[in-house]
Amino acid sequence: MYYIALSVLFPILTGVYLLVRKEIKNRKSLLIQTGIFLVITTVLGVLALCLSGGGILTPFNLTDRLPILFKVDEISILFAVMTMVIFLCAGFFSFIYMEHEEKEKRYYGFYLIVFGILLALCFAGNLITFYLFFELLTLSSMPLVLHTGSREAIMAGLKYLFYSLSGAYMALFGVYFIERYGNTLTFSTGGVISSQAAADNTGILLWIAFLMLIGFGVKAGMFPMHAWLPAAHPVAPAPASAVLSAVIVKAGVLGMVRAVYYIFGVSFLRGTWVQTAWMVLTLITVFMGSMLAYREPVLKKRLAYSTVSQVSYILFGFSVMDAGSVTGGLLHVLCHGAIKAGLFLCAGALIYKTGKTRVEEFRGAGKEMPVLMWCYTILSLGLIGIPPTGGFISKWYLAEGALSSGLSGFSWIGPTVLLVSALLTAGYLLPLAINGFLPGADYDYGSLKKKEPPLLMVIPILVLTLLSVVMGLFPEPLIHYLSLIVEKIL
Amino acid sequence: MILLVIFIPIIAGMLVSLIPFQKRSHMEIFLESAVVLNSFLVGYLLLHRPDHIITLANFTGNLSIGFKVDGMSIVFAGLISVLWPFATLYAFEYMTKEKHERIFFTFYTMTYGVTLGISLAANLLTMYFFYELLTLVTVPLVMHTLTREAILASRKYLYYSLGGAAFAFIGLIFIIIYGSTTDFVLGGVLDLERIGERTNVLLLIYVIAFMGFGVKAAVCPFNSWLPDAGVAPTPVTALLHAVAVVKSGAFAIIRLTYYSFGTEFLRGTWAQTVVMLVTMFTIVYGCSRAVKETHLKRRLAYSTISNLSYVLFGVTIMTPLGMVGALTHLTFHAVMKISSFFCAGAIMHQTDRHYVHELDGMGYKMPCVFGVFTVSALALMGVPGLAGFVSKWNLAAAAVESGSRIAYGGIGCLLISALLTAIYMLSIVVRAFFPGKDFNMAALEGINDPDWKMLIPLFVFTILILVMGLYSAPAVKFFNDVAAGIY
Repeated sequence: MYYIALSVLFPILTGVYLLVRKEIKNRKSLLIQTGIFLVITTVLGVLALCLSGGGILTPFNLTDRLPILFKVDEISILFAVMTMVIFLCAGFFSFIYMEHEEKEKRYYGFYLIVFGILLALCFAGNLITFYLFFELLTLSSMPLVLHTGSREAIMAGLKYLFYSLSGAYMALFGVYFIERYGNTLTFSTGGVISSQAAADNTGILLWIAFLMLIGFGVKAGMFPMHAWLPAAHPVAPAPASAVLSAVIVKAGVLGMVRAVYYIFGVSFLRGTWVQTAWMVLTLITVFMGSMLAYREPVLKKRLAYSTVSQVSYILFGFSVMDAGSVTGGLLHVLCHGAIKAGLFLCAGALIYKTGKTRVEEFRGAGKEMPVLMWCYTILSLGLIGIPPTGGFISKWYLAEGALSSGLSGFSWIGPTVLLVSALLTAGYLLPLAINGFLPGADYDYGSLKKKEPPLLMVIPILVLTLLSVVMGLFPEPLIHYLSLIVEKIL
Repeated sequence: MILLVIFIPIIAGMLVSLIPFQKRSHMEIFLESAVVLNSFLVGYLLLHRPDHIITLANFTGNLSIGFKVDGMSIVFAGLISVLWPFATLYAFEYMTKEKHERIFFTFYTMTYGVTLGISLAANLLTMYFFYELLTLVTVPLVMHTLTREAILASRKYLYYSLGGAAFAFIGLIFIIIYGSTTDFVLGGVLDLERIGERTNVLLLIYVIAFMGFGVKAAVCPFNSWLPDAGVAPTPVTALLHAVAVVKSGAFAIIRLTYYSFGTEFLRGTWAQTVVMLVTMFTIVYGCSRAVKETHLKRRLAYSTISNLSYVLFGVTIMTPLGMVGALTHLTFHAVMKISSFFCAGAIMHQTDRHYVHELDGMGYKMPCVFGVFTVSALALMGVPGLAGFVSKWNLAAAAVESGSRIAYGGIGCLLISALLTAIYMLSIVVRAFFPGKDFNMAALEGINDPDWKMLIPLFVFTILILVMGLYSAPAVKFFNDVAAGIY
């Protein structure tokens, strides 16, 4: 059980150590250290997942009624595994990518700290622990956003900070009330609101639930608090964008899942105006994100808008509160994680190799870097939802869940929006692949030379691509596992 | 004993200007030992408190100058006696760059005694007496630099404070007439039979007296003296205008609300609604002004305005839990704000920079100061694990428990203010540590951390912030006992 504490503390402490120690002259030794720290953290995390077996760790009491509490449940496992895989991939990727950036030591320091805090978020067993690390996540990931130090980056970093904090405070507003009206702050399947309080204060509790959804939704880039995301994600170095877009936004998703399924309880929220409002917001976000991505010429910004849209797919699944849609949502957490991390790493590799940023500038890239561009294409297909990739399975479940949910109106509006958005996704992702492989007759083939990026960059991308395909080809065990979770929380 | 702790600092302060010290260090040793000795005496007094009222003078009827140590006194006197020695130590270093040190230290030390007088007062009249005295001894401190700006500020401070005290005086008279006694009794002293039909008049008087004492606590619209008074040397702004003086105002309001008028009488009336709305407005107003302000000390002063109204918001909930929240924030905010003010002072002392936009990249040159500043910023925002979270939690818990819709709105104000706090504090931190890639670090050559006399108070306060945040249970339990009237 103490592996939980170790897996959280080790990366945080080593990150702080990297931050405060003197500049390391030899770049190689910095990389070796960071690599070792990353691997050890992952090992500790896996040990924590395997050995803790539902035990509860309470290392500390903040006040006499607010314990810091960790425990590992199925949701923790799901999110923690995703976090570890993506952090390892993006971490090794940055060993090459960060070569041309300054202040590497600071970058790796905060990277490790964020890793530890995300694991802590996965393992958090009650609302106050979750809130604590949610706030720390914002503070420690901001330096990743403003790493390059350009004016644009600093402004985006501040925007990220203030949006996230306002979200955290909305959530905190809810925590105050739940402490009063709930039996406990510990996450429990089915909710913690006492039935007496729920009956007497339905009105205020529904408002609280809504506020918490908006609050956690800030991190997940949900409309109306999404504006920070397309500003902040692209300005970070590419591997940092990858973890921001693939994992850190999921902290918001995790917060919403915890709030809805483990604090308020499905039975309290189903059929209320809060559910309706939540569904409407997610559908607006899905459509709007895709639309904005479609119009965006800069590659990394386009991917960031795509995150806005795709994360709301997940949220839509959770807002429908139907077995199928929740399975789809959970599945899409994993798929989108792998795919979006992969896409951002591809973008990073392209930028690293060519120095270009706009989508139309990558003509012929497929001829120069075939492996990279094939990965990009397969990942894109996954995000659009074309079999045999994982994205197809998750979207299938999302749409099927919505159709069978029996919610009047939303049962068909939802899938329609998802389909239109999928079309847009194809529209904004595939042009790069098409231009890359088929540059057109007027393209100057003479200047073309092979320049595949280094192996340490390609391998993480390959791993993520492979994962997204495997999830599509052999989804059975995963879906079986997810259905166990869904059975518990619904 | 009680008289001793009040008079030692006053006399020591007077002696500073009378004794011809050979060297500056002699004066430092003399003053520091007097202050430390006094703090130990206060500690002893609070632990072995006399259970009866010590009367110094008796005027007609039930009017007397008397002292007593009760729960509230322990909180306030304890807070002051912990902070004062550190602030004095800090002032020694800071004042090396200012003139007329003697006069400064005379009044600075006398203020210690006067503030203790307020905290140990046993009845409204005594408190009022020391309250007026506090204004008078602190005016020379505001005026200290003798620039035109400082004189104007001190005049403004004087008029505001005296005017406020006059309003508070009206409250005092009504308590004398309609109360059974002027002593402080938890639950109030109003005699309902004597009031009869005149409830509304008394409620009006309560609001007037609240606003009167509220002048010192910088309640909007009577707050403009506080940022102006920031022209005083930083030890004054830090200790007096973040803790001693302004908290005297808050302390007086707690006395007025819980010990004189009584919450039974006030709860649920229009008077409660009015004062609560005023504090809620001030919370948001202070923070928004702080965001706009570019002068570092003025920014912190506006932050103080907002945070004082956190305390007053707790008071206006008018439940025991509300009082717990108010007391928690009263003490915890004192430590957080004095810490951030001392950082501002250290920056001004080392570099002569006063504006926020001049702080780019300084985090690398003064790592200790900016490290401490970051901790205090996070604490003021209310990050869990630091002091601010606990006090805000208690305030919000009290508001939720009270069940009033206005108090729910108050929680909203607290959180909006927390966001604004993040904006005005963290924008400084980000500037200091992430100056941007075009920034020329060579421009900061020769700037470094101050010496130990400044750093020790900073580190002590940082540790206190952490301890209060992580292990607040004993303190909060004590506040609960105070609010329940056990002390």
